[in-house]
Amino acid sequence: MSNNPYIPMPVKIDKIINEVDTNDIKTFRLTFLNKEDEEKFKYLPGQFSELSIYGKGESPIGIASSPTEPGYVEFTVQRAGAIVPGLVTASLHDLDEGAQIGLRGPLGKSWPIEFLEKKNIVVVGGGFAFTTLRSLINYMLHKDNRSRFGEITVVYGARNPGLLLYKEELAAWENRDDIKTIITVDKGNDTWKGREGFVPAVCKDVAPSPQNAVAVICGPPVMIKFTLPVFYDLKFAKENILTSLEMRMKCGIGKCGRCNVGSKYVCNDGPVFSMAELEELPRDF
Amino acid sequence: MSDSALKKIAIDKINDLAAALMQKGTLIAPVREEKGSNFREIKNPQDIYLDYDNTLLSPKNIFFPQMEDFVNYQLGKDATPAKPVELNLKPAFLFGVRPCDVRSFAIMDTHFYAVGIIDPYWKARRDATTIIGYAFDLSKPADPADFYNTLGIGAADPEGSDIFMVKKDKELLLKGITPQGEALLNGLTMLAAGNAADEKYFTEYVKKGKEPRTRMMCLDDKTIAKKYEQIFENTEYWTRMADGCLSCGICTFVCPTCYCFDICDEDIFRQGARRRIWDACMFTDFTLEASGHNPRTKVYQRLRQKVCHKYSFSVRKYDVISCVGCGRCTRSCPVNIDIYSIVSEAMKA
Repeated sequence: MSNNPYIPMPVKIDKIINEVDTNDIKTFRLTFLNKEDEEKFKYLPGQFSELSIYGKGESPIGIASSPTEPGYVEFTVQRAGAIVPGLVTASLHDLDEGAQIGLRGPLGKSWPIEFLEKKNIVVVGGGFAFTTLRSLINYMLHKDNRSRFGEITVVYGARNPGLLLYKEELAAWENRDDIKTIITVDKGNDTWKGREGFVPAVCKDVAPSPQNAVAVICGPPVMIKFTLPVFYDLKFAKENILTSLEMRMKCGIGKCGRCNVGSKYVCNDGPVFSMAELEELPRDF
Repeated sequence: MSDSALKKIAIDKINDLAAALMQKGTLIAPVREEKGSNFREIKNPQDIYLDYDNTLLSPKNIFFPQMEDFVNYQLGKDATPAKPVELNLKPAFLFGVRPCDVRSFAIMDTHFYAVGIIDPYWKARRDATTIIGYAFDLSKPADPADFYNTLGIGAADPEGSDIFMVKKDKELLLKGITPQGEALLNGLTMLAAGNAADEKYFTEYVKKGKEPRTRMMCLDDKTIAKKYEQIFENTEYWTRMADGCLSCGICTFVCPTCYCFDICDEDIFRQGARRRIWDACMFTDFTLEASGHNPRTKVYQRLRQKVCHKYSFSVRKYDVISCVGCGRCTRSCPVNIDIYSIVSEAMKA
């Protein structure tokens, strides 16, 4: 059986970046062992993959790198286990650079790039749920792509400065004039000179115009809950607010039934949905 | 239906037919077991048991085994590269399947390969298998749990089978329904040619099979799909329907159209396998996420998922109710939850 969608391709951990003070979120840069796998792995921001460790299992993780960075693919992974034992993520965190793991993907629907073109993009992220947003931002900022999009505004928040992901990139974006970057933390520390405040309040303050604009929002449920009304008040239409849904997954290809919500499989029909699409689904996620 | 000539064989000569099919490949047929009958691979033709009503387990495991390995591997220092498991299938003959179960294969085909990514395991086994359907015995009453007539399935519907069989007194009449089935029948020398009376009997039997025999209600797929969208948040209805449910999952395991599976890694003495195993949306941890979030912690939410998946979500996604009215979930439920009653109550909710 060639092209068996359940069999992972072999990849090597080329680089590990410790993202946060708490040491439980790391970015893994993976390179392909087989050239043909690398060539086949064509993805867009917003898609995910199954990271596979034999003896442990598989975990669906959003792709954090941008397709404009060839030669590797990156995943930012939180070590699970506070509540539910995270076999795969824990053992991934224990691996060193050079270790071999497996990869299945790319899976799922991406952020709708064609729909976003020529529009002003407001990216809103909270905490750890910034990974596929980073992919999208880096994709849009690439020199070949930047002219395809209008103004780019990023509001990104974390509980404290140590929990912000991709700190070097955030600093680089803040120095660019073709992207408006607003970084906030719930509570700063002695060295924090930036903004303090919750993401919904900051969004209200920034008040992006809904004119020809799309908001792309990812974050913890409580952030989403309070951020959505802000964008509704700003008169963003539900079709123009996008998010990425979480649901437990196994196969990632719409077969195993686990991430089923209404007539959709989140893995295959999502994970990217507009608020208009989510309203059509039963409240069961 | 094709006009292929009818064949027949005396039921007490069925061993000859079985032996010929076993020569050609794997023969799978109902076998009598302690608690009822089940489809098993036949080693001895004597074991074939045709006097059954329907099997305890559905025949879905022929194409979708309860457990199957995707990859075998070794753990530890001497680890060899992981090896995907190859199927190496022989032709298979699935003998004596009731029409409601035959219908379930078409529903599963839609999910496993007609729409979206192809599941290579389901497809390879389906492609390798000839379906030999078998009409219910119309001289006996249907099992009280059955309701396949509600889903528009007749007790003697040949559609979906490659060959369809009808019992006539002490003989089996066999008709090729697909070219593949016809070709197989023509190559089986122990079969006698049917006569005009046999043809008439077969046709009449199929026709008679369409008469109501099981529990029956008027059910339109779009109407019920919409109804369940309307009453999705009717907690009173769902709590009442799920009253007593133990979340044991037996309804999903015996169901011919339940396809949810888990993918997990298991190893013993460093020999490991990545395998898929049937899973059930009735289990509490089915939707438990690593964050601790679980959208379906309550029994009624899980029963709702199962019922709505079959009678609403499947209609929206695949344009078909994914239930064939075989009655197995009702017969197997330890607390007598009956999906037919759940659906008929929905109409009133």
